[in-house]
Amino acid sequence: MTSVLASAQGGTRADDVVLDVRDLRTYFHVMDGTVRAVDGVDFQIRRSGRLALVGESGCGKSVTALTIMRLIDQPPGEIASGEVWFDGRDLLTLPADQMRAVRGGEIAMIFQEPMTSLNPVLTVGDQIGEAVKLHQHLRDREAFEAAVQALRDVGVPAPERRVKQYPHELSGGMRQRVMIAMALSCRPKLLIADEPTTALDVTIQRQILELIKEIQERTGTALLLITHDLGVVAETVDEVVVMYAGRIVETGTVEEVLLEPRHPYTRGLLSSIPSRGKRGQRLSVIKGVVPNPFRMPPGCKFEPRCPYAWETSVQGEPTCAQNEPELLSLGDGRASRCWLHDPRFTGRLRDYERPTAGAEEAR
Amino acid sequence: MAERTVAVTADLTPAELEQLLLERPDYEVQLESLNQWQLAWRRFRRHRLALAGAALFLALVAIAIIGPFFVHYDYYEIPHPDELVYAGRPPSWISGDWDPPLLMGETARLQRDILGLVVNGARLSLVIGVGATIISVVIGAVWGGVAGYFGGWLDSVMMRIVDSLLTLPILFLILVAGKFLGRGDWPSVMLIFGLFGWLGLSRLVRSLFLSLREEDFVDAARAVGVSDGRIILRHILPNTLSPIIVAATLSVAGVIIGEAFVSFLGFGVDITQPTWGNVLTSSLDFLQQGNWWWAFFPGFAIVLTVLGINFMGDGLRDALDPRARI
Amino acid sequence: MIRYIVRRLLEAIPVVILTSVLIYGILLIAPGGPTARFAQNPRITGEQIAAFKHRWGLDQPIPIQYCRWAGICNPDGEGLGIFISNKGLPNILPEALGGGDNGMLHGDFGFSIVDGRPVTSVISERVVPTLILAGTAWLLWVVIAFLTGVYAAVRRYGLFDSALTVFNYVGFSLPTFWLGIMLIAVFASQLRIFPASGMWDTRTVPAFGTDRYWTLLGEDPGYVLTDLLRHLVLPVITLIVVSIAGDSRFVRSSMLDALNQDYVRTARAKGVPEWRVVTKHALRNALLPVVTNLGLEIPFLFTGAIATETIFSWPGMGRAFIQATNNYDYPVLMGILVITAIIVISANLLADILYAVVDPRISYG
Repeated sequence: MTSVLASAQGGTRADDVVLDVRDLRTYFHVMDGTVRAVDGVDFQIRRSGRLALVGESGCGKSVTALTIMRLIDQPPGEIASGEVWFDGRDLLTLPADQMRAVRGGEIAMIFQEPMTSLNPVLTVGDQIGEAVKLHQHLRDREAFEAAVQALRDVGVPAPERRVKQYPHELSGGMRQRVMIAMALSCRPKLLIADEPTTALDVTIQRQILELIKEIQERTGTALLLITHDLGVVAETVDEVVVMYAGRIVETGTVEEVLLEPRHPYTRGLLSSIPSRGKRGQRLSVIKGVVPNPFRMPPGCKFEPRCPYAWETSVQGEPTCAQNEPELLSLGDGRASRCWLHDPRFTGRLRDYERPTAGAEEAR
Repeated sequence: MAERTVAVTADLTPAELEQLLLERPDYEVQLESLNQWQLAWRRFRRHRLALAGAALFLALVAIAIIGPFFVHYDYYEIPHPDELVYAGRPPSWISGDWDPPLLMGETARLQRDILGLVVNGARLSLVIGVGATIISVVIGAVWGGVAGYFGGWLDSVMMRIVDSLLTLPILFLILVAGKFLGRGDWPSVMLIFGLFGWLGLSRLVRSLFLSLREEDFVDAARAVGVSDGRIILRHILPNTLSPIIVAATLSVAGVIIGEAFVSFLGFGVDITQPTWGNVLTSSLDFLQQGNWWWAFFPGFAIVLTVLGINFMGDGLRDALDPRARI
Repeated sequence: MIRYIVRRLLEAIPVVILTSVLIYGILLIAPGGPTARFAQNPRITGEQIAAFKHRWGLDQPIPIQYCRWAGICNPDGEGLGIFISNKGLPNILPEALGGGDNGMLHGDFGFSIVDGRPVTSVISERVVPTLILAGTAWLLWVVIAFLTGVYAAVRRYGLFDSALTVFNYVGFSLPTFWLGIMLIAVFASQLRIFPASGMWDTRTVPAFGTDRYWTLLGEDPGYVLTDLLRHLVLPVITLIVVSIAGDSRFVRSSMLDALNQDYVRTARAKGVPEWRVVTKHALRNALLPVVTNLGLEIPFLFTGAIATETIFSWPGMGRAFIQATNNYDYPVLMGILVITAIIVISANLLADILYAVVDPRISYG
């Protein structure tokens, strides 16, 4: 199960992998109990590879990223188990000072809210220069020039003037460029982008995505994109991992997942995207909400919202409501966490694969 | 689907919910909505300090109500008018002399039982604290509400007045008012504290009104022709109650301390009616004789009350904060 | 920046004017007025009271009375001439420019009813002791509240944080004057470590502010300053415990707030060492609300000074205020209120300007 994606690439060698996450579990112990925000997640990213973690808010994708960076507040958080192999080191057992050198230096991160992710009382140049000074041991003057260069690289006009400005003097898109400049200023091996375009205008979103893609191709840094927006996924990455309630529910290459979703949840996500082909039809949405983290359903976590879930009367046969499925390998590196793909239920799978018919029947 | 929906109250334990899940596997969980106050009560109940504070405060209120029936006190009844003993006797549990039993010792000079002073003083201290707060909440809410709702020049004038008064330490004004206007009875002291205590609160209410009047539901009410007075009372005021309640709770503590100080100086309630402040008035003179108990116990009663109120206020702040988790 | 300061100064003017009107108004509604103290005296005749009223301008319409007190009107003038000074120019101008020499605007606060001395000299001899007490207290209060609050926030849920929380709860519930009494009971009456009252040792040190005091200070500064410090300890503790309790809680929550911000996470993601995250990224942002609060709390310092100075017989403005209130000494009362208001307004102004310096988002336009 650890190498679902590795096998997809047909025998990927270990040194070709920049990030290897194994059985990651991050829990939060809060007043009302324990939230299992990430509950057994495995995936790999190749050098210069591009992978997206997809899911609704609250599914654990951001926590996964913060756990990789070890930026979880402990307490209340706890990294309960798992390994994060990065360049031959397990980040979760690395001493704090070495981890600090990895952060910003080898793995950089861009956050969702450019409005609040920059320090309002420090100049832009100061904030970019700080990373360079820390990791490349430059002096103030050199750091200043590096900051100007970093801004130029991300297409900020008049960078010499911008470095002296404060974040509130910049627009949202400009700030996200600053965040990207800051992240890339130390030439990281892996860039984690946590919903980099969600807070931006649609037109700006496109520019920022183009920028990330362009820089990724130019510098060869690997990309871990975290998003809920499948449109963004289609344009930016090679591989997709779909998460739901702290677990991976489906994996595959971007074409496979978007054109042939195997898990009912992925299918639901896709059918809720408006597109030209669906003009005039009613846009379907996944009914219900993400389950309460304190009252997870005992079986499949998606069962309460799943239009394909079924009850069974056969003794010993698993039911969606009470038995949680494994992440079942479907060959070719694809995997899906759904009973439909259990060999016992091929009949139901056939119904499912007939477009929409299965769903109508289930409703 | 709709008729198969089961309403589940949020009070179910996970085990009960699981049972429900097994019985009715094909349903949609719907949390029955509790209203704002029920939610607040649930959160308050979990706040251990707040519960302790509330218990402490209620216990003191109970003492203030029923205590005087058991511990008699009369200003004109002087226990030892003919004796030439000036120092007070210490508490019995220190001196070992249980005849008469003195839980908190005696005052010097007139040798009154301090327990009697503390228990009888509780009434006025608490009444003034709560009463003055009610007065200042009403004035502050109206003043701030009108300024915030109508805005414009009215707001400017009203708020400049508040700004100007706030540049003077309010206690200065209260002292002057207590001396010049007070008649030494508790209603006038309560009124003075009420009349000078609303300034901070009116700023709070104004800022709440300023933001709330821009909300869509106010526009909606205005669009269907609801009158200004009704919008203020029925639509905006209920949304400002939580912060007002918290501020009012903490204000009770402030008034109790303030009243004690003003009465201690002799500008508040006169000594024929005991409060925790005025029974301390002469205690300072006898500290050199070692009569610490006279000053200690009435003050300690204030500290306990204020501590209880502050705990409660903290709990309320957390409980009434709509952003807080359930 | 200069423009911003000038604008804030101009905005403060109406507040000052309104405050002085309010002070005047509040004392006006007090029953009896300045002549109440003569009512019990059989040897003072009606004519004498009328003469007294005329002398102080109390027979004039109230707006004129106020203007005289403020220094806009000339008490000797008649008709419209009241606005003209004896030198023939508007009375409101400073004396050097040909204006009048009466009223607050010209530094004339009138005379104490009790002993006939100028209010300015009554107040000025009380200002220095209050500044010594309140200044020391303020400095200690700010530094202690700041250090403890920041440390508790950084080591959240640690032993120190828990201890500070308990101290804050208890300290915030203490009545200032009672704390003073208890400190006297313990440290002055029982342990006899510190003096219970006064500002100097009356047996060995001449009265503060007199020539002989300064002479002794010049001859034996070590002894005089130690004496002053010994007398300062208890009043300062009394004055700051409640304020520290309130403020360190405020600093702590403000710092926790800053530490939870996205930009702190960004800084950590950049690999910034934790102590630099605290001192560079979180601290400056946490300071913003704290700075404003410090200015707004100056009035509490005066309120606290009344209690402290009364309990410890400290010869400052707070005690002068109590004495003036007891004696119905209107000119002194009004003088103290006006001076306090001006100090508070200046402090607020200073806090505003300081805020603008620390926060680049404030535009100075």
